[in-house]
Amino acid sequence: MSTTTSTPHLAGSAPPAVRRGFRIPEEIGVIVALVAMMAIIGFARPRFLNPINLFSLLGNTTFLGMLAIGMVFLLAIREIDLSVGWMFNFSAVFAALLMVAGIDPWLAAFTGVLFGAGLGLVNGLIAITLRLPAIIVTLGTYSMFQGLSLIANKGRAIVPSDQSSSFFSVISTKLYGVVPVAALVFIVLALAMHVVLHRTRFGYRVQAVGSNPEAAAHAGIPTAWVRLQTLVLMGAICGLSGVMYVGFRGAIDPNEGSDFVLVVIAAVIIGGTPLSGGHGTIIGAVIGMMIIQVISSGLIFFGIDATWSTFVTGAVTVLAVSLDRLIKYQRTRRLERRRETFHG
Amino acid sequence: MSGDTMISVRGLAKRYGGVVALEDMNLRVERGTIHAVVGENGAGKSTLMKVLAGVVRPDSGAIELGGQTIALDGPNAARQHGIGMVYQELSLFPERSVLANLFVNREPVHNGLISKREMEARSKSLLQQLGLHVDVYAPVSRLSIGERQLVELARVLLEQPRLLILDEPNSALNQRETERLFTVLKGLREAGITMLYVSHRLEEVFSICDRVTITRNGRDVLTKDRAELTIPEVIEGMIGQQREALFPPALPPAPSAMRRRLTVKGLAGGRLSDISFTAQSGEIVGLAGLEGSGVSDLLDMLFGLRRARAGDVQFPDGSGLPRSATEAARRSVCLVPADRRRNGLMLDKSILFNISNIVVGARGWGSPWFSPKTALGRAMRQIEALRIKGQPYALANALSGGNQQKVVIGKWLEIGPQVFLLDDPTRGVDIGAKREIYGLIREMSSHGGIVLFSSTELPELIGLCDRILVIYQGRLAGEVSGADMNSQTVLHLTNTGEMPGAGRQRQKSHGGKA
Repeated sequence: MSTTTSTPHLAGSAPPAVRRGFRIPEEIGVIVALVAMMAIIGFARPRFLNPINLFSLLGNTTFLGMLAIGMVFLLAIREIDLSVGWMFNFSAVFAALLMVAGIDPWLAAFTGVLFGAGLGLVNGLIAITLRLPAIIVTLGTYSMFQGLSLIANKGRAIVPSDQSSSFFSVISTKLYGVVPVAALVFIVLALAMHVVLHRTRFGYRVQAVGSNPEAAAHAGIPTAWVRLQTLVLMGAICGLSGVMYVGFRGAIDPNEGSDFVLVVIAAVIIGGTPLSGGHGTIIGAVIGMMIIQVISSGLIFFGIDATWSTFVTGAVTVLAVSLDRLIKYQRTRRLERRRETFHG
Repeated sequence: MSGDTMISVRGLAKRYGGVVALEDMNLRVERGTIHAVVGENGAGKSTLMKVLAGVVRPDSGAIELGGQTIALDGPNAARQHGIGMVYQELSLFPERSVLANLFVNREPVHNGLISKREMEARSKSLLQQLGLHVDVYAPVSRLSIGERQLVELARVLLEQPRLLILDEPNSALNQRETERLFTVLKGLREAGITMLYVSHRLEEVFSICDRVTITRNGRDVLTKDRAELTIPEVIEGMIGQQREALFPPALPPAPSAMRRRLTVKGLAGGRLSDISFTAQSGEIVGLAGLEGSGVSDLLDMLFGLRRARAGDVQFPDGSGLPRSATEAARRSVCLVPADRRRNGLMLDKSILFNISNIVVGARGWGSPWFSPKTALGRAMRQIEALRIKGQPYALANALSGGNQQKVVIGKWLEIGPQVFLLDDPTRGVDIGAKREIYGLIREMSSHGGIVLFSSTELPELIGLCDRILVIYQGRLAGEVSGADMNSQTVLHLTNTGEMPGAGRQRQKSHGGKA
């Protein structure tokens, strides 16, 4: 992908000025795929490209898309969090119950985000004290959070009765009548997290630990602390997504979130984040989630039964993974050939 | 020596794209000899072996076996001609039994079922010969690395090759296992098997081989009987220039260098017990010991990766043992780990990323931002200072062993450590890079660093260190310095845990008592 020359210069000679040159962004593949899909659907059904439709599509992407942003950090550190759907649900239920109890919705929402971070902290503390992979820990907490949430909402949807607070109107407003505020929050979060992953000490550590945990430990990187931070961040993002959902829909169903985790992981993988860790792309994950949304809404535009969308999402995931493998295979072959020539 | 020719290679050439791996390689191996091929990394010896094993096809050149030109167009063709190769990297199936590994793809079959009895019968005497006393039904993963290497050798020997190619067969073996392997190889030579032996360790080449071919830049430079060669001559042939001293002389201490001291008293933990010594800035303290003696444990403990059971340690900053590697890094203690690829590098990341490991990753102070521009500056600085052959954005995986090791050292130099713990820093590194690393170690010491340097290669310990601490089975067996610091004394200490002559003295005192 990079156009950097890799000719080794001779020892002793002055190193040539390093110019990285123009690099094609790695997300270009998914962006092209998304645009192509939208073009095809739009060509056949021009109504699809109506701005109102597109922005409502973006709005639908928001809640799952936010979880995908957090999941990128997890995959980059070579972990997976299975409990995201129920952290989302439980935080939303918690915040909604506070609102029902008469607490100011803004304060309740803020508490809900902290609550989500607390759930993440539970995951993280178990994972680092028992030195277990997060996927195992969250397999357990998945059901624990689901169970506790069910106990809290007694199996019914929680609907804050007084929805006159500005919280509800702000979150569900559409700027200029088309752009949902929730989607704006989503985009801002994505950009902020992109910066966090690539331009902060925390993001650097996440990539380092994910790339080679043992080398990271030998370099003095506090690996347990970074894992804990990542899982707490994931919980906080689930909380944020959950309370915004309450503001957007005005209610939280007892089962909302049950089917989130696989879609979220699929979006991250479609976006180009490898399961092997060390690397992640937030922008890719956002686009990946949009691709999934475009598919399911595109099917509706074509009059295909919506039950097909789950199958198609799965098929796209498999396709994305196979493309990724193909590219990696060719890259390693090129690299090996070069290595052989160096050390033959 | 003028025996009849077993195999000969003439004018072999192989290019990969624009890079020449073999230019004009010639080799003649006599029947019933052990023939060594030596050369730096990239000299072409591995490619030559791969050609002979049928794995790589040459662009031009001829191979003659027993006077007839043969075509080796695949590993099977080589096998049919009686050429067997023992690879440097282990190619065993760790979850399967020793027997299953010995007979991969040619399991003896009775009535459609694999006969374990026959496998056992056919391998028994060979395993005994090799001194491999293991449960043949146990999975290979339970064997030590040395035992696995012998299983690998046994697998090839079961094919009854006429020519056996060994590519660094003892890279994972300890002294005793190496000696056993050499006894086996000598036995095979008696039995008339011809062997081609590739190794980095020249002492060993000299102790076992009959003839030596030196390769450089894809050509054979020189072939001579071992008796007519000396190690310095071989090294000169390999690097192909006026031989500079391999070990640079000690540098005068930098005027600004501080005098510091590391004191260890009664340290115990893991395999170690009651280790006491001091190390000062300005000197290089060597650590010698067999694999499993506890040298690595000691370094890990000083770096906070391993808990100590007892002991009193004082670092130059006045505090005791670091409780974690993070604390060690923040207190300017650095460890260059022995297993570079596993513990030293993020292979799928760039040089730039790796160089920032400590400054950005380990430290908790300074800017919370990661600036690629600053990181580029750091990488450029180390690439220039350490002469790393690679661009800042090149992946660590694409570098040669020597350059990879320089990246590991460079990332630590960025924080200017006070204590350098070097665990076999020249393992798997070619001679040119070795010399540069020796120079770096000298500089670390002259700038006031406390250097603890462990190595599996005696010559470099003796050539570089001011004194050597020998650890034997977890205890400090002795310390040698000055005139005592010769390979005989150190070898005796590492292998027996006693000073040479000590055994005799004890016998004498026993005799006196009786």
